[in-house]
Amino acid sequence: MSEAVVPRDRPSDLPMPRWRWLTSEHPLPWLLPGAALMIIFGIYPLLYALWLSLHKRNPVTRLNVFDPDHNWAKALGDQRVWDAVATTLLYTGVALVIQLVLGLLIALLLDTDRKGYGVLRALMTLPLVVPPAVTGMMFLLMLDGSFGVLSRSLYAVGLLSPQFPILATSSTALAGVLLADIWQWTPFMVLIMLAGLRSLPKEPFEAAAIDGATAVQAFFKLTLPMMSKVIAIAVLIRGIDLFRIFDYVKVMTDSGPGTATETLTSYAGRIYFNGDFPYASTLSLITLLLVIIASTLFMKIFRVKL
Amino acid sequence: MEQSFAKRTLRDIAAVLTVGVFMFPLFWWALTSIKPMYAIFNKDKVVVFDFVPTLINYAVVLLGWSRAEIAIESGSTFGVGGTSSYDSRQTIVDSIIIAVGSTVLTIIIATLAAYALSRMRFKGRDGYLNWVLGQRFLPPIAIIVPLVGMYKVAGMRDTDNLFLGYIGLIIIHSLMNLPIAVLLLKSFFDDVPKDVDEAAMIDGATRWQTFGKVVLPMVRGGVAAAAVLCFIFSWTEFLLSLFLTTIIRTVPVKITTFVTSTGSEWGFISALGTAAILPGFIFILLVQRHLVRGLTLGSLKE
Repeated sequence: MSEAVVPRDRPSDLPMPRWRWLTSEHPLPWLLPGAALMIIFGIYPLLYALWLSLHKRNPVTRLNVFDPDHNWAKALGDQRVWDAVATTLLYTGVALVIQLVLGLLIALLLDTDRKGYGVLRALMTLPLVVPPAVTGMMFLLMLDGSFGVLSRSLYAVGLLSPQFPILATSSTALAGVLLADIWQWTPFMVLIMLAGLRSLPKEPFEAAAIDGATAVQAFFKLTLPMMSKVIAIAVLIRGIDLFRIFDYVKVMTDSGPGTATETLTSYAGRIYFNGDFPYASTLSLITLLLVIIASTLFMKIFRVKL
Repeated sequence: MEQSFAKRTLRDIAAVLTVGVFMFPLFWWALTSIKPMYAIFNKDKVVVFDFVPTLINYAVVLLGWSRAEIAIESGSTFGVGGTSSYDSRQTIVDSIIIAVGSTVLTIIIATLAAYALSRMRFKGRDGYLNWVLGQRFLPPIAIIVPLVGMYKVAGMRDTDNLFLGYIGLIIIHSLMNLPIAVLLLKSFFDDVPKDVDEAAMIDGATRWQTFGKVVLPMVRGGVAAAAVLCFIFSWTEFLLSLFLTTIIRTVPVKITTFVTSTGSEWGFISALGTAAILPGFIFILLVQRHLVRGLTLGSLKE
């Protein structure tokens, strides 16, 4: 020990150097409560889920028997899993593109110091705080096949036919669910893009204007490249959240009609309610694995870090 | 940049229309909550303003009026009979207890961790940060099955003991909100120069005193922002509350029980829904300034 050399300038070092790791001078007491919470309610259940996924459930005795291949092989051979993966990817991809493009456009539209725009920007954040389950209900009401205001407007302009209500028809149900997601989360993109736009330096734009560049040229040559980091962060956060979509599907279609809107999480939820806990765990671990793979790839390719 | 009057007006119109489109569902929702039944379920035409506004839907969900009372009040016999399962007073109380409880717990734990992560240099610091970040992106569904088992064993899932039920949801909402609170608070602590701590400690203050008396008061705004976000996310959470408890119904869970196979009570749903949205609206306007920072886990500042 080199206690003789170290100047004892802090009073708490003096009485009990051996117990220093229990005092506030050491990071441990500061980090322990958070770590405990994450271990007991995060890591432990995760390991338990892994353990479950390596067991086969006997429906009669309700006992879990060790059988490491059973659930994973079953998942790989289960067409519903592949369909759910496809639905999840489609949902995530479409929502991400629409929300990003709309978010960027609306941010450009609202990015001005003119009077009144502050109020518009504040209003634009309101959808973010609506409970997603309530958002699902809102759109369920508006898309109702017989008295929903959106459905009836779509019938009136001929985009939909009353024989095929949007949420009760296999080919359009996912679009209906997407509508709720886009309404709720485009504001998220708007907000982040606005912050990005506001942090851009002014000089390059002034120089471009002197050189006679049009607004469109300035957008593609200056704004977009300088915003790339902000866009990447927004896409990463939103993408991961989209991939674990549960609320809107559960509330609006409950995976239906049939399995037309069944995502990975909703399939796992259904299996859970059917009582096959090991298989439900396996499916939810597959969701986790796909999230990890996709986000790692994204962070490597676009060189972003949160 | 100078813009012509025509261009400016065009932009104003486009901006108002866009925001209007996004406000429409909220408007329709609030409007539905004050409509009588015949206006909501009208299959012949969409009723916009030609109805007599009523507060009956609110009386049912917020004051616990029974179906018989509504029937008498509205002169209709629709849905008479059966007890009212639409009384949501207990649900609102439960949701407030859980949201406030988990906000307090999260802020205490997260402030401590964020301070150490911002101020101390030690082995495993980046590891801890990445762990927290990973927790944010862990799909809740991945741990829900074992959690249900744990909650059953601990008596927090299907018991008559409301208190245990509260504790269960408070803990799990805290876990869910911990990452955003830690990372957001760390970014606020990072904004305070380290000289402040050093000056205090040279004067003989311990770390704990430095934290409590010097640095924490300087990040009050950040703590408030983190607290508001924690409250909103707990208030709006659906999946964990749905799976983890059978005795407590938080507002988002309760609202979905109004949809039944025989028909949905849209009047009650929209009344409770409107009431459920309001606290979020008020709070979000208070933290506009820090919203971007919060939603991007401290990585972007406005």
